[in-house]
Amino acid sequence: MATFAPQEDYYAILEVSSDATTEEIRQSYQELVRRYHPDSPKGNTYFFRKIRQAYQVLGEPSRRRAYDQQRRQRNSDSTLPFTWDTKLSRSTLPTLTTSQMLYTLVNIRPQSTEPVGKRLNLALVIDCSASMKGTPLHYVKMAALDVLKFMHPNDILAIIAFNDRARVLTPSTPARNRIAFSSALASLSSAGGTEIYQGLMAGLEQVRRYASDEYINHVLLLTDGRTYGDEDRAVFEAQQAYNQGIYISAFGIGEEWNDKFLDDLARAGGGISQYISSPSAVRKVLREQIQELNKSIAHKLRLHVKPADGVQLQSAYRAAPYMELLDRTLGNVLKLGRLVSEEPMAILLEFIVPPRQAGPWKLAQLELAAEDLGTGEKLITRQELKVNIASEVVNEPLPPQLFNYLSRINAFRLQENAWRALDAGDTKQATSLLEAAATQLFDMGYGELAQAAMLEVGYIARGGTSTGRGRKKLRYGTRSLSIPSIQQSRRGNHGN
Amino acid sequence: METKNRVICPSCGAENLPGTLFCVQCGTYLPSGGPLRTEPLPEQDGEETYIKPVPETMGKTTQRTMHLEIDILDTGRKAILSVEREILVGRLDTAHGIFPALDLTADGGLEQGVSRRHARFYTRDGTCFVEDLDSTNGTFLNGERLTPYLPYAVQDEDTIMFGTLHVKVHIYNE
Repeated sequence: MATFAPQEDYYAILEVSSDATTEEIRQSYQELVRRYHPDSPKGNTYFFRKIRQAYQVLGEPSRRRAYDQQRRQRNSDSTLPFTWDTKLSRSTLPTLTTSQMLYTLVNIRPQSTEPVGKRLNLALVIDCSASMKGTPLHYVKMAALDVLKFMHPNDILAIIAFNDRARVLTPSTPARNRIAFSSALASLSSAGGTEIYQGLMAGLEQVRRYASDEYINHVLLLTDGRTYGDEDRAVFEAQQAYNQGIYISAFGIGEEWNDKFLDDLARAGGGISQYISSPSAVRKVLREQIQELNKSIAHKLRLHVKPADGVQLQSAYRAAPYMELLDRTLGNVLKLGRLVSEEPMAILLEFIVPPRQAGPWKLAQLELAAEDLGTGEKLITRQELKVNIASEVVNEPLPPQLFNYLSRINAFRLQENAWRALDAGDTKQATSLLEAAATQLFDMGYGELAQAAMLEVGYIARGGTSTGRGRKKLRYGTRSLSIPSIQQSRRGNHGN
Repeated sequence: METKNRVICPSCGAENLPGTLFCVQCGTYLPSGGPLRTEPLPEQDGEETYIKPVPETMGKTTQRTMHLEIDILDTGRKAILSVEREILVGRLDTAHGIFPALDLTADGGLEQGVSRRHARFYTRDGTCFVEDLDSTNGTFLNGERLTPYLPYAVQDEDTIMFGTLHVKVHIYNE
């Protein structure tokens, strides 16, 4: 049985197109054999052998099919919609008797800037509890109408209002049907409490009606309040939806909402959570969100970290385009969500490396899987992290990009730990962590955030509690410090 | 031996694994990262190297450009520098964004204990000052160790030691 090499282009060797019939291939083969046979004047043994080899594969339909399939796979690898690379904090580690820390930055850079030509299938889930009464609800209505202007006529939108229960104002309808949306929004009024689960389920139900690979399916949740008792169910549903290719983003308006819950929800749902400090900014945030959804080029990104024996993945952070602690419910499989063109993604991994004798070492394998939104192809690529273990200490400069991300994540982590300590009732620990965060933020030149941190330190020291506003300003402010250059355009903290 | 490899945070005393760059407990930058490098480094940001100048003295200050000729006695190299605002003395470290005007790397700075941000020269009212930036191994003016972050006036022909590296300073007023 003849084996074949998928890297060889047998069609080119036989001078036929890839859709040639078996008969065309045979004719071309016979012609080429006559020309290059070692006995003929133009004979060439090497060419002759290649031609024979190619015909053994392409001349036999079942072998040709297998070859075609392997080639498609290879080609898809070479046309990834992104490139990726890794940077280690050190490439040479000393032989120590203790474990040591190694940082790795994974950069995922979108390649194509062409729109993938997918239409949007969205549900806008609006909190209309009593607290939204008046101006906030008015702004949200305006924003919803504005969203329509930014959508393609064939995009699908559903609008759901919820308080203790959910009401479908407009079922999934093409965006060109503006009248249907504006009359439904006009009837929207506020009353009652906040039960996010109800609204979320109604939103998902609408999106599911059109959910397919032809669309970018997304639920946008706008709320200003806290939901009680249904958090876990909501996060579970978000996870289920994510697996079906439906994403959830959550936007908190004002100071009262539960930031931890909305973060969990968005993280499980593969979307983003954002803080909107003033209702007047809702319009701008939604508009940016629609634009960003339209720039999606790949989704279902997963980074599978496979460490060598004894190596431990201590923690994993998304460092760009915004910062977050990555979900570890799947262990070393990290869900990374969507890749948007012109927005590089960076992931920071912290490894604990055990003692080991000198020599080169493959520390871990990274496997990045994604689904191309344009072609629907599932892509998998792999890279290896290699270090050199040496008996002497080697001084090497730290990659500046890694240092920059690391120092920002450090500030982000300090304030996150502070809130966790505060929630656990440890005000002493919380204030000292916030002070440390303020120092780091100040050193990096973010004076305003540093001041906000010190203000909270004061509040906590006096009253034992922080302000919702300060907490959200800090949390969503620090997480968007990822990249200095785009910091202005992508603040997590809107409308001060 | 075990504990020798650990990195003790200078701020909170927590033990960190070698190679750790920010203390796991309090987030303090641990530039040594373990038994790998030796000196503290106050700079946090990778891009910024500018240090805040001492407060302007009230009234009229005459800012004149001064020229210093630094004679590195250990290697015989001469560096001529003009002091407009200030000049940083240290060792080049692009990774941390430290670009000293007087880079002593080539003069054996590392072996002689020169910190990356070791000291700075600046002028006020026609006088040249040197200030130690809390370097690990200190700055010495005519054999006397300087208190960090305090300005000391430098005279022509003074000898300064950065760590154990000797230089002689010549001042040319314009």
